[in-house]
Amino acid sequence: MEATQIEKRVERPEVEERKSDSDFMRIAKYMGVRLVLLAITIVIGVYLAVLIANMGGYVDEIRKGVIKEQVGMQIRGNPAYEDLTAEERQKLMAEMVAQEIRRLGLDEPFIIRSFGFLEQALTLNLGRAEYMTSDTGSKQVRLILLERLPATLVMWGASNLLVFILSLLIALGLSRKYGTFFDKMIIALTPTSSAPAWFYGLFLILIFAVVLEIAPFGGLVAAPPPENKLRYALSVLRHLALPAGAILVSSVPLTAYNWRTFFLIYSSEDYVDMAKAKGLSSSKIERRYILRPTLPTIVTSFALLVITLWTGAIILETVFNWPGIGKAYNQAIGLYDTPVIVGNTVIYAYLLAITVFLLDFIYALVDPRVQVGSGTGNQL
Amino acid sequence: MSEKPLLNVEDLNLYFRSSKGIVQAVDGVDLQLDYNDATVILGESGCGKTSFAKAVLRLLPRNVESYCGSVELDGLNLMELNDEDFRLQARWVRMSLVPQAAMNALNPVMKVGDQVAEPLMLHQGMTKNQAMEQVEDMFKRVGVPVDFLDRYAFELSGGMRQRVIIAMALITTPKLVILDEPTSALDVLTQANIFNLLKRVKSEFDVSFILITHDIATSSELAKNVAVMYAGQIVEVGDAKRFFDEPLHPYSDKLMASVPRLRGNQELEFITGKPPSLINIDMGCRFAPRCPKRFDKCDQEPPVFEIGSRKVKCWLYEEK
Repeated sequence: MEATQIEKRVERPEVEERKSDSDFMRIAKYMGVRLVLLAITIVIGVYLAVLIANMGGYVDEIRKGVIKEQVGMQIRGNPAYEDLTAEERQKLMAEMVAQEIRRLGLDEPFIIRSFGFLEQALTLNLGRAEYMTSDTGSKQVRLILLERLPATLVMWGASNLLVFILSLLIALGLSRKYGTFFDKMIIALTPTSSAPAWFYGLFLILIFAVVLEIAPFGGLVAAPPPENKLRYALSVLRHLALPAGAILVSSVPLTAYNWRTFFLIYSSEDYVDMAKAKGLSSSKIERRYILRPTLPTIVTSFALLVITLWTGAIILETVFNWPGIGKAYNQAIGLYDTPVIVGNTVIYAYLLAITVFLLDFIYALVDPRVQVGSGTGNQL
Repeated sequence: MSEKPLLNVEDLNLYFRSSKGIVQAVDGVDLQLDYNDATVILGESGCGKTSFAKAVLRLLPRNVESYCGSVELDGLNLMELNDEDFRLQARWVRMSLVPQAAMNALNPVMKVGDQVAEPLMLHQGMTKNQAMEQVEDMFKRVGVPVDFLDRYAFELSGGMRQRVIIAMALITTPKLVILDEPTSALDVLTQANIFNLLKRVKSEFDVSFILITHDIATSSELAKNVAVMYAGQIVEVGDAKRFFDEPLHPYSDKLMASVPRLRGNQELEFITGKPPSLINIDMGCRFAPRCPKRFDKCDQEPPVFEIGSRKVKCWLYEEK
């Protein structure tokens, strides 16, 4: 009796306070905080882009200079003004310049106008392009970019999904066959990831398009595009093969190698031995006791990978002549089309933020330790 | 021992490969355990206690060199079973484990209730709801609040985790529970708590314990028999009362002398030297290099001498 009494008394401090949060509330709270943080990140990022694209306001000075020059040319070239004296002409010119500057809103200080730009950018009110046009002939930056967005999403969605699934399967396979020939082969292949995808893209084009002639050089679909929807999709897939292949070659070996190591580390945890002692089948152990606890680590690693892949989009899309926003970005830089560059940056910022948000959501789903503002998350 | 014992281990060997040679972690171990019995295995760190537990449970790492001997558990010859039969007939059906470092023995991303319920669903074909009812019942019996079912391991304190593990070990009512240093990571109060729980559990559940520990003081609470392990071998087996009063083997003697006592101001003793590495072991008694009572014969491997119901592996007891 005495023993149980002691037990009860000592038990008390062990009982922790019951948390009222359910899983749903926990995730909702976490995602809410993440959303606010991401929104702030986007605002800062886009504002920086606005500042840089305007060279901190210096572009305004350039434009004022250009206006002066244009007005001067106009006055000199207009026979109606030939009789005016130099003074009158000066006065007229100053008036016209001031009017033009007011019309364009350049008389306001740049710092105030920059917030206007920020608002327009964030609401995707991206203005008109200077040189580029959309395929439908519009000069609206928004139309130019939205028209190209689906192609980019198809390519990066498909290849990221492939990278994830392939890496996961290979990594699991390798962790099962630790130390075998296949394992060593993948380890030997990991240096391939030191070169970017577009580098392999060049070789793949050379091999499969030039020499073997079994794949197209680039582009989104065959020309002319097939009428039938199914054939259209198949044609897109055919064109997707090489760029996706290039991404796989440059990403999968290193990723699989990394994840294999995660699996090996996690499979030597005590709870895996415990699961074995409980008599669970090896497939169940792998799913519940190795894969599940490793997933948070893997999602983090994948998030970093996806972000690096986004930044590589510009060159890869150019190499494969893929009509996405990466290629549009490259063209805009070549043409010095500021509205398109800024618009593109804004779209990229949104894409990155959405990617991060989605991965954060998945992370919160797979790891119950994720909580807002508590230190318990770093305990393993 | 008129009836067949619950566990009968004969000449169990478990050798590992290592870069320096073969490690004889468990070398020719014999051990018997009756139904409703408790044996404590004592020894220093690194003498093969945990390896013995792993050998009985067949939880082998990749670098096993040889694994042989005979293990009979509850009328089942374990060594003759293939892995699949072993998994379905022995693991958690006839024996379960409370592991060392229980802090890490629970899956961090699964609710603890689900983890405790798993063996029931697997071995007894229960539905999830049936299993959870049993788990709830078991949680009450080991003193875990029922609303902890839906918690994750990181939300529990060390003592609570250990209770959850004990609930898990008992859930399928196995005949044998191997406790591998069940309290080593806990503070003294919680240790006492857990030992009280284990004592209660033992009388309630009709279960046998093998308690592996280097903590002699707490083990005396629970054990009926004592086995002392040194360098991969069992050097002395006997009933606990007589062992704690008067150990036979010089190593046991030294081990007991190193336990702090509450009264008396006798100086604590320690054993000079360290346990031999289990790689390329010399002939002869393994304790000889550190033994204060060493004599010529110790260069040869000592056999096991029986003294009454006790057994000791030491030449000192040859003529007796």
